[in-house]
Amino acid sequence: MIVSFFDQFASPVFLGIPLIAIAIALPWMLYPTPSSRWVNNRLITTQEWLINRFTNQLMLPLNMGGHKWALLLTSLMIFLITTNMLGLLPYTFTPTTQLSLNLGFAVPLWLATVIIGMRNQPTVALGHLLPEGTPIMLIPVLIVIETISLFMRPLALGVRLTANLTAGHLLIQLIATAVFVLLPMMPVVAILTAALLFMLTLLEVAVAMIQAYVFVLLLSLYLQENV
Amino acid sequence: MLSRLVLVSGHILKNSGSFGACLVQASRSFHQSSQSRAPVPPLPEKGGKVRHGIFPEELFTLLYPKTGVTGPYMLGTGLLLYMLSKEIYVINHETFAAASIGVVIIYGVKKFGPSVAAFADKINEDKVAEAQEVKDQAMASLAQGIEDEKKEQWRVEGRCMLFDAKRNNVAMLLETNYRERLHMVTNEVKKRLDYQVELQNLHRRMEQEHMVNWVEQSVIKSITPQQVQGIWSLH
Repeated sequence: MIVSFFDQFASPVFLGIPLIAIAIALPWMLYPTPSSRWVNNRLITTQEWLINRFTNQLMLPLNMGGHKWALLLTSLMIFLITTNMLGLLPYTFTPTTQLSLNLGFAVPLWLATVIIGMRNQPTVALGHLLPEGTPIMLIPVLIVIETISLFMRPLALGVRLTANLTAGHLLIQLIATAVFVLLPMMPVVAILTAALLFMLTLLEVAVAMIQAYVFVLLLSLYLQENV
Repeated sequence: MLSRLVLVSGHILKNSGSFGACLVQASRSFHQSSQSRAPVPPLPEKGGKVRHGIFPEELFTLLYPKTGVTGPYMLGTGLLLYMLSKEIYVINHETFAAASIGVVIIYGVKKFGPSVAAFADKINEDKVAEAQEVKDQAMASLAQGIEDEKKEQWRVEGRCMLFDAKRNNVAMLLETNYRERLHMVTNEVKKRLDYQVELQNLHRRMEQEHMVNWVEQSVIKSITPQQVQGIWSLH
């Protein structure tokens, strides 16, 4: 059996049970249900404040039709941010490294925005395919380009998240292995590499949060165009 | 949020259908707590006490009678060394990754923990303070109302005194008027009576004069010539 660095991304199955199901359910288990009390403890107060603030920010550029998506987008954001951050712990499996999961989020949601746009305001939705102020000669070319761009969106959404997280985890594993291997041979270099690992970890924490936010933000932008 | 969706849909599913009611009743026998929700038990304000961020204080109190203060630490060290020496936990590259993320997490919690807690406390305190202020304002306005009412009642008492004073004033005016008129009447009557008195005086005087004149006239008439001769001879 050849151990490779990509083994960490293999979807774990134990005794025939796909453990990815537990991994996906984990963020839900970690957050307490907001109670119906007026004054709560610190955890629920902070959680409530964060969710309210985030939903407020997200819904600012959207009109009333877009507000129907508040629950979906906020819960998606919380799920993504939690899975990404939990994946930074050692020996964990990050579901969002699986392209299947990310495309499973991106394609239906993107398709929903497109169908909503085509159904409610087809002229405006098709009008998005032509940016303002293009010279007349370029119109046919630009329509084709914009259509391709439109169909690239779900792929871009899914692959962006997958690639960022996979690359990050891979780098952490590589540099940690470098530290581990160098420690007996060249301790000073190992310490420098450990410093690099520390900074990379910081970067990965930031990337985890940013990628989740970007995913949801882009979806809200596509929604804004079409609703 | 997702949990609430699941719970609500589960509840609806449970109660739907003919067997739904029986299911709820059947499971009721397993319930430990009382069914009523009031009074709501208070939420603990802070989480359970922990030492070093993860280990609950109860572990230390549990081990203290038998192993003293250092008991749990010995247990932890022993466990760790056991797992390392028996290679139950193998040190590999993940260990360094774990150390790295561990440093980040501990630093983050230590640095931002108190401020986040204070922020959450402030949100709650502001909520309570707002409600308290509403209550205080209501109480203050009611107390002010009581004060105003008392003042009005005092004013009403003063009004009685005012009426008494006015009544006295009017009575005095009437009295003065009456006395003036009485005085005038007395004067008039006195004038009439004085007139009568003067008239009688005049009568008597006139009678007196008349009588004196008559007496003089009679005397003069009764003076005979021999009486005149006699008076002249005396001289």
